[in-house]
Amino acid sequence: MHGVLEIVWPTPLPEQPPQIVRQVEALAELCAHTLETYTAPSGPPHRPRMLPDAAELMDLADGLHDPALVLLPYLDASGNLLDFRIQHVNSRFLDPAGRPRAMVSGSLLLEAYPMAAGESELFQRIERVYATGEPFRAKRMNLTALVGQVPLSAIADISVSRHGSGILFIWRIEDETARLASLLQHAQRLGRIGGFEENLLTGEITWNGQLFDLYGRPQTSSPVPLEDLPAHAHPDDAVAIGRFLRTLLHHRRPASAAFRLQRPDGVTRHIRVVAEPVLDTDDRLLTVRGAYQDISAQHWTEVALAATRDQLAHTEQHASERDRLALQLQRAIMPPTQAPLQVPDLDVAVRYRPAEAEQLVGGDWYDAVVLPSRLVLLCVGDVAGHGIEAATSMVVLRNALRGLAVTGAGPGQLLSWLNIVAHHLTGAVTATAVCGLYDPASRTLRWARAGHLPPVLVRGDEAAPLPLVRGMLLGAVPEAVYEEAEVQLAAEDNLLMYTDGLIERRDRSVEESLTHLLTTAAKAPGTLDQRLDRLLTYSRSDTDDDTCIVGIRVG
Amino acid sequence: MPIAQNPLSVEVTLPREDVALLTVEGYLDVDTATEFQHHLANQLHHGRRHFLLDLSAVPFMDSSGMNIILRVYQEARELPGSVHIISPTSAVRRILDLTGVSITVPVSGSVDEALERVDRLPQAPEEDPGS
Repeated sequence: MHGVLEIVWPTPLPEQPPQIVRQVEALAELCAHTLETYTAPSGPPHRPRMLPDAAELMDLADGLHDPALVLLPYLDASGNLLDFRIQHVNSRFLDPAGRPRAMVSGSLLLEAYPMAAGESELFQRIERVYATGEPFRAKRMNLTALVGQVPLSAIADISVSRHGSGILFIWRIEDETARLASLLQHAQRLGRIGGFEENLLTGEITWNGQLFDLYGRPQTSSPVPLEDLPAHAHPDDAVAIGRFLRTLLHHRRPASAAFRLQRPDGVTRHIRVVAEPVLDTDDRLLTVRGAYQDISAQHWTEVALAATRDQLAHTEQHASERDRLALQLQRAIMPPTQAPLQVPDLDVAVRYRPAEAEQLVGGDWYDAVVLPSRLVLLCVGDVAGHGIEAATSMVVLRNALRGLAVTGAGPGQLLSWLNIVAHHLTGAVTATAVCGLYDPASRTLRWARAGHLPPVLVRGDEAAPLPLVRGMLLGAVPEAVYEEAEVQLAAEDNLLMYTDGLIERRDRSVEESLTHLLTTAAKAPGTLDQRLDRLLTYSRSDTDDDTCIVGIRVG
Repeated sequence: MPIAQNPLSVEVTLPREDVALLTVEGYLDVDTATEFQHHLANQLHHGRRHFLLDLSAVPFMDSSGMNIILRVYQEARELPGSVHIISPTSAVRRILDLTGVSITVPVSGSVDEALERVDRLPQAPEEDPGS
């Protein structure tokens, strides 16, 4: 006897006519043939060993693009099935509980996945496939895995089939992203939306095709990192983009900004960018993802709307007019960035970030100018208070210093004079300032400070503030004396002057904020411009004050 | 009492007839500076000439706070009188040194030390020294 075939009906059957019996016999014959093509398990059943068909199955599993396990029966001494041995897992296999592949491979199925015996009846299904040879396939089956005693479920399409004595178990986790990808792609095309993802650890950037189109760049070109966005935008949008990057990268909050994208083909598009940070479990910033949307059509509608709204709002405008005037005044005098100075062997860069709220427009100023003596005047200052008074005083002090500097006096003397100017300004104005004269010939900087934070010298990968020489803030007393210091700079040195908008925080001492600033300043690689951008992006200040930075780099 | 998000408490005592001791508690910043200034203006109005500012409970002071101190310093100098800062916290002390205010406005470790400094000041000739 080669085998037994049992055919069962749910209800008792009457005696069947002979032709039916013959048909059943033919069917049994057919089944017997089919079964014979499988190699029956050989050797003592309680010592499972690698069978030729298991090796074949493992090869097959390795060729699949879905996670696959090769299972072999695990029998007790009397040949009863106890469990399955996970003989092999393929390279696509990812343990839902996060264990390394080697830990899962070789273990027993129920030990590795106790939940398989649970509600999903997965184990029973596999058992049945093993017993009958009938493959089991299911769509959207709920699989549960224990992750640190917490059951996690996933929806998967699964396939279990017997091949000889081995079981091939394949699953495909349902991927929402994959399912929606094509749908999304069409939506993005219609909405003129370009998506991106940027890995901040590896620097790897992924753009979808639409984004290359938005940027007017060929699909083969390399994507533009977010940090380089200012270089592709209209200069007047630098402040908005700086704020966007700061919210996103420093505060790690979702952010958005509207700006004018200047494409290489000369076309300007109005773009809105939205992005969100993705943090890992240790709260580190891993990736940033987001989308750009071309809102040019929308933009012109809004411009028309805004014009109408402006007329309607005319009556309530008066109060904010002074604030706006202050803002305009400051912007007119100090653009957020300035054309570079032409000094041999010296890079000079400046940044100005106005306060976010119009009524908080302050009196920060910077100046960097080549004097008739060929010395370079470098200065930042901060008039106390906000609004139109602070802004007008700022204008007076900035221009006065420029004028006074032409006399050829040293920085200490300049500040003494500037103190007199400030003291005689109406409204008891006080201000702080730091003022330096750089001599390109000798690479020395003579400087003095009036109640202001001393400059920071970045040499190599170290940043340190220059000494706190004595100097009273401007305007408080009729006469004041300012101590001078001199620092010899070397090639590659960076020197930064900044206003306290960069570091001012309520919950931290100046010292701590300064330490953070020094760390950021020391870490920042690349060009002087990139260094200053980074300082603005990662500054820890929380007071929404305006901020100026002047930086030089000795060539 | 107006209680803002950053309440400021200013307690005024008079160690002497013409000396006002203001004990300040809270942040001296753009939100609270005006309130502080009102207290000082009130004492000026009542004829005090010397102002002792106990800042031992001021964890943070910004340029607005600093300006109030400078303003009362200028007013007192005209009288003539004086302003003294007592026991500033390290953060405030740092700001005072940074801005050079401590060059002009003396910093004392205690009320007694500040009073001694007041005593050492030359008395204004037109004022009656015995009171």
